[in-house]
Amino acid sequence: MNNETILRERCREALKLTKSHGADEVEVFAQTVHSISADIEKHDLQTSSSQQETMVGIRALVNQQVGFVCTNVLDDLEATCVDVVKLAKASPKDENNVFADPVTFEPVPDLYDSHSESFSVSDAVAQTIRMIEAADAIDPRLVIGGGTFSANRELRCIVTSKGVDLAEKASLFTYYALATAKDGEKVSNMAFHFDACHFVKDVNVVPVTARACQDALGSLGAQKGESFVGPVILAPTAVEDVLVGLFAFQLNAKNALRGSSRWGKSLGEAIAHTSLTVTDNGRLPGGVATRSFDREGMPHRELVLIDAGVAIALMHNGYTARAMGSTNTAHASGSARSTPGIGLTNLSIQPGNKSKDDLIADVKQGLLVNRFSGSSNPISGDFSGVAKAATLIKNGKLDRPVTGTLIAGNVFEVLKNLSGVSSETERTFAATLPYLRLEGISVTAE
Amino acid sequence: MQELLTRIANQSSGWIELRFQERKTKQIAVRNGTLEESSSKRIQGIGVRALIDGVFGFASTTDLTEQGILRAVAAAQGAARTSSGAKKHRIKGLADASMGVGTFPVPTTDPLDNHSLEEKLALVMTIDERIRKGSSLIVSSSTSYGEIQDEKIIVTSDGAKAHVFISIPEFRVMAVAQKDGDQCFGNGANGVNGGWQDLMSLTPPEELADYAVRIAVEQLDAPHPPGGLATVVLDPGLVGVLSHEAIGHSVEADIVLGGAITANKMNQKVASELVTMVDSGVSEHRPHATGTLAVDDEGVATRKTTLIENGILRSYLHNRETAAHFGVEPTGNARAFEYSDAPIIRMRNTYIEPGVTPVEELIAGVEDGFYMCGLGFGGQADSNAEFMFGVREAREIKNGRIGKLVRGATISGNAFDVLNSVDAVGSDFRWDLGASTCGKSQSAKVDAGGPHLRCKGTIGGRQ
Repeated sequence: MNNETILRERCREALKLTKSHGADEVEVFAQTVHSISADIEKHDLQTSSSQQETMVGIRALVNQQVGFVCTNVLDDLEATCVDVVKLAKASPKDENNVFADPVTFEPVPDLYDSHSESFSVSDAVAQTIRMIEAADAIDPRLVIGGGTFSANRELRCIVTSKGVDLAEKASLFTYYALATAKDGEKVSNMAFHFDACHFVKDVNVVPVTARACQDALGSLGAQKGESFVGPVILAPTAVEDVLVGLFAFQLNAKNALRGSSRWGKSLGEAIAHTSLTVTDNGRLPGGVATRSFDREGMPHRELVLIDAGVAIALMHNGYTARAMGSTNTAHASGSARSTPGIGLTNLSIQPGNKSKDDLIADVKQGLLVNRFSGSSNPISGDFSGVAKAATLIKNGKLDRPVTGTLIAGNVFEVLKNLSGVSSETERTFAATLPYLRLEGISVTAE
Repeated sequence: MQELLTRIANQSSGWIELRFQERKTKQIAVRNGTLEESSSKRIQGIGVRALIDGVFGFASTTDLTEQGILRAVAAAQGAARTSSGAKKHRIKGLADASMGVGTFPVPTTDPLDNHSLEEKLALVMTIDERIRKGSSLIVSSSTSYGEIQDEKIIVTSDGAKAHVFISIPEFRVMAVAQKDGDQCFGNGANGVNGGWQDLMSLTPPEELADYAVRIAVEQLDAPHPPGGLATVVLDPGLVGVLSHEAIGHSVEADIVLGGAITANKMNQKVASELVTMVDSGVSEHRPHATGTLAVDDEGVATRKTTLIENGILRSYLHNRETAAHFGVEPTGNARAFEYSDAPIIRMRNTYIEPGVTPVEELIAGVEDGFYMCGLGFGGQADSNAEFMFGVREAREIKNGRIGKLVRGATISGNAFDVLNSVDAVGSDFRWDLGASTCGKSQSAKVDAGGPHLRCKGTIGGRQ
């Protein structure tokens, strides 16, 4: 029997055992993860490692009362099945606790590279060495203070008493570099870039390292900035820092259901400038979060969340779809270690028609922010923090790097005053994002 | 298990560290009176670290048979050999340390398992209802209880034989208030290393709930603060955040070697002479701090480490590797969150020692400034000690009196500049970050706190 067959059989066994101990409905979600990684610390290889774990998560319903247990102690699975029924029986009844019927769909192609099976610890080590060498080739003042190359192979399996019976393999290579530049007593901001791919042939750690290095070098020698209220251009990483958490919160149907999302009450209304269109696509080719099905076995699909400034959809899992009488959008998130939540898969802000340089050229006095270190409150929309690796813009041109500069505003307000979306996009950790020009931002030089 | 691990360690060629961990967790989460999660988790496994030719290799396994463990040992040694050809700076050795031997129980008389699931669930439901009834402006409530119970057996080939038990319960609340389409939230959280009553007596859940409601509602009508440098009085919560996030990470020896601003600052003045800062495996001043541990995950007995003494930088935080590099004793800061994590340098309980000034005097001495309490939404710090923290509750101080609340306040600056600006240290003390989890490639349960401090910081506001 191959690994997929063994894991599926294990899930089916757990389902039967849990039912035999009194569950009305059962969902068993299992994952086997093989992980190889090599870490960089202080510009040198630190540790390399290999790991494998199989985790089984069981959700049981007894009279629409729910419990969840997960374990990697597979020799004692029956004890876990007994525990989950006990947890369910101690919980209050909720009529929205119903598992979904199975849906047929086409699996996403190109998720798994069989060459990943022969990817070794020494291959991961070689990639980290390549990152360090890439930094050395750029400038001797650079230090890769931290970084990781990981090669992961994952087998996911879900079996439910409603007839869902799915398994899928995926391989994923992820890598990031944290670069700092040091010149005498001057220490730059820490700069971070990330990339990922599903196939061995697509691995390329050099560009991501180079971007982190260039950002670090760019912030060396930064001096005090200027205080003003005006335009700020957020680079993709800063867009993620300021906006993506708020999008994930406000467009989460669970938060709408509980009354803590204002966009949940504004569907069909303009919440942003018409230049803003936001989609989420769990089937995005090459996406970090791309998989055929979600944590509840429902097929991923592309969903337009904000269309030309109008909030038109929320992300649902099975519970919120039933509770709100909506369509399940297959956004059940999480792993075998947790109950299904609701989360973004591969978020994209659609590109605009002006280049980044054109966005800068229109600005008389403004700030370009590569990274944002601060808070962005997803409920009130207030954001405030330090502009990292920031550059002052004067008369349509980049002027000089600045440090100790705070930016503040309210996301709900600035989205309506969005004055530019770049045609260029970059993949950040969680999304694919353009540069955004926001108006009326409070900029304070310390 | 300890005998088996000891035998394998003794028979291995070269230095080896074997760490068994069984973790049991429970989580109960309620939102608006509806149960969102009632779950438990049980994981077991062994992490193995080998040191060969000056290079570490790590592997983990869930196969707890002797053969399974030996396979993990071989994998860790293989990873070390593979890396040895690529690493530029080999580890010259591991610093000698006082290795942990013995059994280290949870410091409590009221273990979590003495309390039923039904009791815990009922408390969470009751507190969630209290939040919703706290004000007619509350539109959403969120309440959760979580617990982590760890059993670890740490054995090294050079003498550690420690059997460690850790128990961390925590309680969280959040309230969302709404008025004229505007929403604000208030929150509170508690956590201890101890048992049920230890958690309940720290700050009763009812008080956490009432506080969250008050902050959420009051912020709805609060103005944004003006931005700029201001005199501030920080409460023990923010002092803990500053100590941990902005200073603590910059004195972790691995970060120091990566180019932190504290490199080459040893025995130099980095803060006001009123400031003495500590990281400790012991829970000084008040019991049950969450980061308390007797033995770290390299098997080293922990101790109190004075980082800054009367303003002078005196120590970094070390594992055995960095201690050997700097020629000092290990401080017992090597920690791993789960069996599948290799130990890295982490903080434990980080705090500033209390001073002599009563809190009322700290505040009375401010003509125009802010009183700032607790970590709000968000916060980050860099290895150059630049930081920005969202503040949970910020109030104006005018002519020595605490006044109205401002909303969305942040504090930022360079942490060492802030510590240099300290002109008074309170005589009080409180742990405040007991429900916090620190992230640095893996999680760690830590605590932090201290007295009130008066200093200068940049308030993030609006022009």
